[in-house]
Amino acid sequence: MPQSTDDLIAGLVDDLEPVTQLRQARGMALALGALVLGTAGMLFLYGPRADLVTGQPDAMLLLSAGLFLVLGLASSWAVVDMARPAVGTRREGWGWTALMAAMFPLAALGAMVVAWLQSRPSGLDSAGINCMRYGLVWSLVTFAALTLWLRRGAPMALARAGLLTGVAAGSAGIFAVSLHCPHNDVVHIGIWHGVTVVLAGLLGRIAVPRLIAW
Amino acid sequence: MIADEASLARLAGLAQRGDKQAYAALLGAGRHWLARYFRTKTLPHQIDDLVQDTLLSLHRKLASYDPERPFMPWLAAIARYRFVDHLRLVYRQAEDELDADHPALDSDEPAITARISLERLFESLPEAQQRAIELVKIEGLSISEAAASCGQSESLIKVNIHRGLKRLAAIVERA
Repeated sequence: MPQSTDDLIAGLVDDLEPVTQLRQARGMALALGALVLGTAGMLFLYGPRADLVTGQPDAMLLLSAGLFLVLGLASSWAVVDMARPAVGTRREGWGWTALMAAMFPLAALGAMVVAWLQSRPSGLDSAGINCMRYGLVWSLVTFAALTLWLRRGAPMALARAGLLTGVAAGSAGIFAVSLHCPHNDVVHIGIWHGVTVVLAGLLGRIAVPRLIAW
Repeated sequence: MIADEASLARLAGLAQRGDKQAYAALLGAGRHWLARYFRTKTLPHQIDDLVQDTLLSLHRKLASYDPERPFMPWLAAIARYRFVDHLRLVYRQAEDELDADHPALDSDEPAITARISLERLFESLPEAQQRAIELVKIEGLSISEAAASCGQSESLIKVNIHRGLKRLAAIVERA
């Protein structure tokens, strides 16, 4: 070995300072904090939907918001874990949750096709774009938290980390919006809420890798 | 001799708490393992650079190691990342050489403005760190060319770049 690597090691040892470990629990606390902050911000500014105020939430709200919440948590878990590298680690749990959540857009598309075949209105409301807009805005809280976490760590698969950061952020954002949005129909939730997560995932896939490269 | 997995994990945990002696032992063991790892993947004259780059990454990303997990897969993952990055750099350099016949015709103004901002930031760095960053990160010299140009050893160039960029990042974050 050349002498220069010895010098480098001596320099690095001299530079050593205690570091705070990137623990999974701390990362998840950060992701949960961002989710709570985004949801609280949304509800503070726009208020909860009427059935939540009366304490009798619609079953569709529980189902859809619950699925997006679980998708947000599962993908956040994967992102937090990705900051700590290891060869051969598999993080696929989020995929099954995403598959479950994808049932909403698929059901919406099915309902729209049936409506089209029967010459009925599709039921897709253009006002739903506001859900998407608000969902993307509030997703930025989780997006920022997870990106900062990844920047502290050493993610290996940058593209996948970006995609999952977007999915986690989009799910958190649309979960917050779900608590305000008065719609209970599968077409609105499947298309507008579903598209929010897909769009956030794409944005994460494009933007995050260059922010977390090391 | 490479220490066993449990010892390396313990050394890494101690290093995270600031134990310099444990860290020196860890880097020494890591260096030998990395040299063997890169020997099977790249040309002999590139091995030292890759070993040193990976040790620098290990230093920067020490917080990402979880002492409850084995150490070697963590180090291997970092080595693989650095190796892929190295390949990307090699291919990009080859592309740049092909493009060299078509110089850009854009205005120099943004480059001049960036240069002025950098020079202000550089005033807060020791001269050796300024020089190392300027030669490698701005003028695009290789580590060995920079070392020959300014009389610092190759490892000192790397340490000075690492320390200088760390200090610059701290200044930018404070601003």
